[in-house]
Amino acid sequence: MTTPLIEVRDLHFQYEDGTRALEGVNFTLYPGETVALLGANGSGKTTFVLQLNGVLRGQGSITVCGLPLTNETLPQIRSKIGMVFQDSDEQLFMPTVLDDVAFGPLNQGVPEEEAIAKAKLALERAGLTQVWNKAPYHLSAGEKRRVALAGVLAMEPEILVLDEPTTFLDPPAERNLLHLLADLPQAKLIVTHNVRLAASLASRAVFFEKGKLVASGTVDEIARRFDWTYADLPPADLRYSAHRRF
Amino acid sequence: MHHVLLDRWSQGASPLHRRDARAKILTLLVFLVVLATTPANAVAVLMTYAGLLTAAILIAGLPLGSVLLRAMAVLPFSLTFGLISWLAGEPLRALALVEKSYLSTVAVLLLAGVTPLPLLLGGLEKLGTPRLLVLVAQFLYRYLFVLSEQAQHMRLAASCREGAGRRRRSNYRAATGALAVLFARSYERAEGIHRAMLARGFTGRFSLLHASRFGAGDGAFLLIISTFLILVRWG
Repeated sequence: MTTPLIEVRDLHFQYEDGTRALEGVNFTLYPGETVALLGANGSGKTTFVLQLNGVLRGQGSITVCGLPLTNETLPQIRSKIGMVFQDSDEQLFMPTVLDDVAFGPLNQGVPEEEAIAKAKLALERAGLTQVWNKAPYHLSAGEKRRVALAGVLAMEPEILVLDEPTTFLDPPAERNLLHLLADLPQAKLIVTHNVRLAASLASRAVFFEKGKLVASGTVDEIARRFDWTYADLPPADLRYSAHRRF
Repeated sequence: MHHVLLDRWSQGASPLHRRDARAKILTLLVFLVVLATTPANAVAVLMTYAGLLTAAILIAGLPLGSVLLRAMAVLPFSLTFGLISWLAGEPLRALALVEKSYLSTVAVLLLAGVTPLPLLLGGLEKLGTPRLLVLVAQFLYRYLFVLSEQAQHMRLAASCREGAGRRRRSNYRAATGALAVLFARSYERAEGIHRAMLARGFTGRFSLLHASRFGAGDGAFLLIISTFLILVRWG
C-alpha cells in the first residue's frame, strides 16, 4: 500500500480568543493526488493548512512524508511542504524578485551560487524570465502570484499547498496559472471557493464546515451535495438587468 | 516625498549610479561631517558645497529642480529652529542652520536617488549597521507601497460615501477611524508576512544576495571627493 504524504489524525485547534477553528479533523494525502479544500469562509480550511507545516500548532497528530510533526522535524517538513499564500504581497517581502525566490533555498542552507541557480530555474518554470531584478511592487497581480509560486518551487517541495490561488487574478492570468499548476508534478492541496478551478485540477475534494471535515469525494459530488455551485441559477439571474430593483 | 520617485531615479546608469553603495555612503558621511563643522560665516565654502551637489545631481542625470524642491521638505523644521536662533540674537547661526540642513537633505536625496534601496541597505549592513535596523528599513520600504495603496483605497471609499455636504468634524472622525483600521490591517499583515517567512524555513537570520564589490574605482571616488571636501573646508 502507498505511504501517504500527509496523514492527519484527530486534529483540534483553538485560537487565543477561544474560537474553535478545527475539531477532530482526519485527512490523508497520497502521492500524485490533488485535493481541493472547499468550504465557507471561516470554516477552517486555511487554519488547517497552516497546521501542516507547523505555522499554527494544534492537538492531534500530523505526519508529513513519514516524519511526525515536532519541533525537531519542522525544518525538514517546511522543506517538503511549499505553501503559496492567498495574498502574494505577504509572501513577497524581499527587495527584489531574485532575493525573494532565493530566500527559501538560502534558509535550507544552500550556498549562494546554487540558490541563485535554483531561483532562476524556478522563475523560468513559472514563466518569468525578465523580472529577476525587479522589485515585487512593480509586478502585476498575476506576476506576483507566479513569483510567489516560484519562491516555493525553488525549495523543491514534495507537496504544494495553495491558498485561494486565483484570488485577484484576471481570467487570462487565472488560465495561465491553471496551466502552470496542472504541469507541476507535486501532490497539491488547494484551498478554494472556485469550483471550476477545483474541477480542473483536483482528483478529490473535501468539505469543511465549522472546523470539521465533513465530507470527501469527487469535486462534482461535493459541489452538488453542498450546493457549492452556480449551476442552479438560471443564466438570466446572472445577467445584469437594468430593471432589477433591490 | 513619494518613494516611487526615488525608486525610479535610482534605476539610472550614470557614473554615480554605478559606484558601490559603500563608497557613496562613506562619501556622504565625510560630506556631512565637513558641512557640520564649517563655520557659519564661511559663505564661500558653503557655496562650493552647493556647487558640488549641483554638479553631482547633473552628472547623475536627476532633475535638478525636482531634487531641490523636494529637499525643501526639511525647511519647516530647520526654519523653526532658525527662527529661535534669530530671536535669540544669532542671525548668522540661524542662516547657517537653515543652509546646512537644506544642503544635508539634498545630499541624502542624492544618495537615495543614485542607489537602489536594496543596495543601499546592503552597503549599510556591510559597513556594520546592525542587521535589525537594516531589516526594519527594508520591510518599511517594501510595505510602504502596500500600505499607501490601502490608504488610498480607504480614502477613495470614504470619498464615495462623503455626500455633498463636507463637514470638517465628521471628516476628521472618519480619518482617525481609517488610521486605526490601517494600523490594525498593518498588524494583521505583519502576522501574515511572519507566517509566510516561517513557511519558507526562516529561522531568524536573513541572507541577502548581493554581488556588488568595492573596486578600485570606488576607492578612488571616495578618496578624491573626500580629499576635495577636506581641502575646501580646511585648505
